[in-house]
Amino acid sequence: MMRKAATYALLTAGALVTAFPFVWMIATALKSETEALAAGLDIFPERPMWGNFVVMFREAPQFGTYFYNSFLVAFSVTAAVIVTATVAGYAFARLEFPGRNLLFSLVLATMMVPFEVTLIPNFMLINALGWKDTYLALIVPWCANAFSIFLLRQAFMGLPAEFFDAAKVDGCGHLRFLLWIATPLVKPAAVTVGLFAFLGSYNSLMWPLVVTDSDKMRVVQVGLTLFSSDEGVRLNMLMCAAAVVILPTLALYFAAQRYFLESAISAGIKG
Amino acid sequence: MRGRKYRLTRVLAAGLAGLLCACGCGGSREFRPIDPNAALFWDRQTDENRDLLDGIIAEFNQGREGIPVKADYVGGYPEIFRKLVTSIQARTVPAMAVGYQSMTTVYAQAGAVLPLDPFIADPEIGLSEKELDDFFPVVLETNRYPTLENGMYSFPFCKSVLMLYFNKRVLAAAGLEQPPRTWDEFLAQCRQIKERAGKRAYAVAVDASTFDGMVYSMGGDVYADGKSLLDSPEALAVLKLYETLGKEGLAYQILAHRYDDRADFAQDKVAFFFRSSSHRTYTATLVEPGAWGMAVIPQADPERPQTVLYGPNINIFQTTPEQERIAWEFTKYFTSPEITVRWALGTGYLPIRKSAAQDPRMLAFWNEWTYNKAPFDCLSFARCEPNVPGWQEVREHIENALAGVLNGVQTAEEAAAELKWRADKVLEESR
Amino acid sequence: MWTRILLTGVGVGVLAALHRPLIRGFDQVLAWMDGFFEGVRGKRWRDTPLALFLLSPVLVILGTFGIAPLFYAVYLSLFNFKRAPRPFIALDNYTRALTEPDFWKSLLVTVYYVIGTIPVTMVVSFLIASLLFRIGRGRGFFRTVYFLPYITAVVAAATVWAALLHPQDGPVNAMLEWLGWEPQAWLLESRGVLWVISNGRIGADVGPSLALCCIMLFEIWHSSGFMVVIFLAGLTAIPRDLEDAARIDGAGWWQATRAVTLPILSPTLFFLLVVSTIKAFQAFNSFYAMTGNGRGPQNTTQNLTVYIYANFYEFGRIGYGAAVATLLAIGIVVMTAVQWRVAGRRVHYE
Repeated sequence: MMRKAATYALLTAGALVTAFPFVWMIATALKSETEALAAGLDIFPERPMWGNFVVMFREAPQFGTYFYNSFLVAFSVTAAVIVTATVAGYAFARLEFPGRNLLFSLVLATMMVPFEVTLIPNFMLINALGWKDTYLALIVPWCANAFSIFLLRQAFMGLPAEFFDAAKVDGCGHLRFLLWIATPLVKPAAVTVGLFAFLGSYNSLMWPLVVTDSDKMRVVQVGLTLFSSDEGVRLNMLMCAAAVVILPTLALYFAAQRYFLESAISAGIKG
Repeated sequence: MRGRKYRLTRVLAAGLAGLLCACGCGGSREFRPIDPNAALFWDRQTDENRDLLDGIIAEFNQGREGIPVKADYVGGYPEIFRKLVTSIQARTVPAMAVGYQSMTTVYAQAGAVLPLDPFIADPEIGLSEKELDDFFPVVLETNRYPTLENGMYSFPFCKSVLMLYFNKRVLAAAGLEQPPRTWDEFLAQCRQIKERAGKRAYAVAVDASTFDGMVYSMGGDVYADGKSLLDSPEALAVLKLYETLGKEGLAYQILAHRYDDRADFAQDKVAFFFRSSSHRTYTATLVEPGAWGMAVIPQADPERPQTVLYGPNINIFQTTPEQERIAWEFTKYFTSPEITVRWALGTGYLPIRKSAAQDPRMLAFWNEWTYNKAPFDCLSFARCEPNVPGWQEVREHIENALAGVLNGVQTAEEAAAELKWRADKVLEESR
Repeated sequence: MWTRILLTGVGVGVLAALHRPLIRGFDQVLAWMDGFFEGVRGKRWRDTPLALFLLSPVLVILGTFGIAPLFYAVYLSLFNFKRAPRPFIALDNYTRALTEPDFWKSLLVTVYYVIGTIPVTMVVSFLIASLLFRIGRGRGFFRTVYFLPYITAVVAAATVWAALLHPQDGPVNAMLEWLGWEPQAWLLESRGVLWVISNGRIGADVGPSLALCCIMLFEIWHSSGFMVVIFLAGLTAIPRDLEDAARIDGAGWWQATRAVTLPILSPTLFFLLVVSTIKAFQAFNSFYAMTGNGRGPQNTTQNLTVYIYANFYEFGRIGYGAAVATLLAIGIVVMTAVQWRVAGRRVHYE
């Protein structure tokens, strides 16, 4: 009994420490400007100013543009990754062609390439193509990635071979089989892939930082790092902005909690 | 036999892509405007200053034919610089952008920025002798580049000078009435403030321009003939001053981008801070007029004062003849006596025309508050910072050195030696 | 912006309304394509045409943005970009990197970061997972709380941390003062954490700076959730009889863990080790968001990624940046290979 109580106590303490930054963030976001700056140990506001969130968008209207860009890019990348990973995973799993395994190894090898090496050449390429400061630069390079192909190939290989044989007998070719039958069967893997793609795109900083210039192309992560003006940083507004940036991924997490955890687990266990 | 063909094809494709880029990037192509339908002006103003600028631009665009001028907020000066470097790589540039002289040299090295002498000399849209005379010499000089045959590759945009901001209440609590006039007085006052008022005297926003200004006011220089002078006696004196201030607990470092020095100043936690005169407007919103003031920075020799001239310039880039012309005309409009006074009154910047001293609006403004005229008076002896390639990076090293001595990480001698070594290396590499 | 959203909405609406005939038509096209591919299916190439068709986007994108850059980076690293026109300088950039003190300093920062975050995160996460494993009620709740930092955007979380650690206004220093201790400069402190702890007895440039330690703490806070979840799942998967056997033999918690749990979890541990190390060598977001430009006070938080970014993007040394990046890539590959050799051998597989 004592051990149980001690366990709970420790876990609660750890949870408080873990959650403290979030609590402080929301609490500061709800303070008035002077209150936020002089806070010190007074974590909670005198009177929570819920209107601060609205004020933030009013005073920094460009944040609306940033969110639009982030979502547009993230959704596009997610859709593209799901499509390319599905068809590629199927090709590697079910089709027979010479060099299949070698090609797959080559695809996997791209996972080993660290980001720093590809950053500069990709940037030069984007420049040469004239894609700098456009959505193309933000979206296209991310439309395929090896990890997603790997996951979906695993999923397709997990389908019993009889499925396809039966379909073939019925006169269904590869493409129609893939689209109407196989894909729905690998939905969990596809959703996982989509989740990772969305998070990876939404949370990325370095690439958008480097390929976008103008205010109207900026994404939310870059916008957050620039959140200041000559008047000085207003801490409560900054915390509002941070909270709003976190919100979409939080919502996504709670909506798809099962997939998040399962994907993390399967990645770890099978790794 | 089987797999080889695919491997080969992939390798070939990859190699081809690489080659194409190399060819594409290696050759020199003409520059193109980012926006063909508007003369883009990359700027950093925020809030009210930006509104004022937008208003001036709107007035300029009104009743004119041709494409309009459009301002775009790309970030702070470092961001604008980075973006421009990469835009020049991509051969697609805005029509104009603000920047410091050290940035202009980089643009000029790439051949992207236009020399303005032809425009000035143009009989139609140029500036006459009388008009050129009306500019304070230093604001024009700072835009001439000795490494580029003294050509004028930028034009003054916003100018301000380094000032000493002092808090009268804190000074009074320490038994002081006047701000210091020499550096010895400054150090003595800082010590007195700590002793009598129990507060730290100086909130330090580590900045290379402040350093330059202090070196000038000590009677020295930071750069001459291709080499930095960062280990000269005057530069060493500045570093020693920071070292002493840090060691005796008289000064502390703040996060410059959060403008904590202004905030702490307003809360009477410090007596002094050094910033450009453009911070007057924001400080005025935080402290009431009777409680603070601005003065010329302490000098080694008060009879021969020196301070540093701040403020970015406009760079006009090679785009299309039409956009270049419009960019020049806007620049000329912006620096005309009427607009320069309006800009000065609306922001914290200084008018760059001598005739502004006769403008009734300026006189009225100077009468409003004792210290309003102080920055303007400094214009006659303000000096510009070096405008050679590579100086932008040298500034980073200067700031590291300042932070190092202030926080007691290095001694002043060590910092000066390292600073000189690094700076000379960068200057050599960038020539 | 609103017109764009409106048009998107209209587009979606049209698609939704017409979806049935569109799907039928699409199916017809697919059927035709299937027939085509079946027709060209030969003995030697088998599914190649179809495979090429399905794999083409992946091959183009991965080839252009994943593989070709490797070659292009090496190519770029052979030039000096600070002079125009760019002269070919062969391996000069590499010799410069290996003789440049800043390069080695950045490597050291990276190594401090890797050593400082990974073992601590793994131990802390394992302990938390063990605690979670013991409780039945509330496990889901606690797991969610611990997982929360992992799903928040690093930039946003790092911004909050930077505000918490603000030397004058942040609650951390306020707490320290309340406890009667000295407030610290945290992210502005370039002196070593060992110097701070030992009150100046250990030299200030020994070990990671306090600023770097703040970033490391952030990383531990941020990534533990991921590891907790994985460890928890691993612990749940251990067959109970093995554990019970160990208990019956009188083993305490630590002995049971060492004898039973850790060996069974070793594939997971190994996976986490390899993946975390690679990730740690590429850390950037937290560095950039917490120090404003990544380099930190006296460049003490400049890891190799920040070093590459600064050289290439801020100072225009594209060739040099590419050379450092290539060196980094080689380093990561070597290190991963070493990990496979050394640690991989101790992994127990079923």
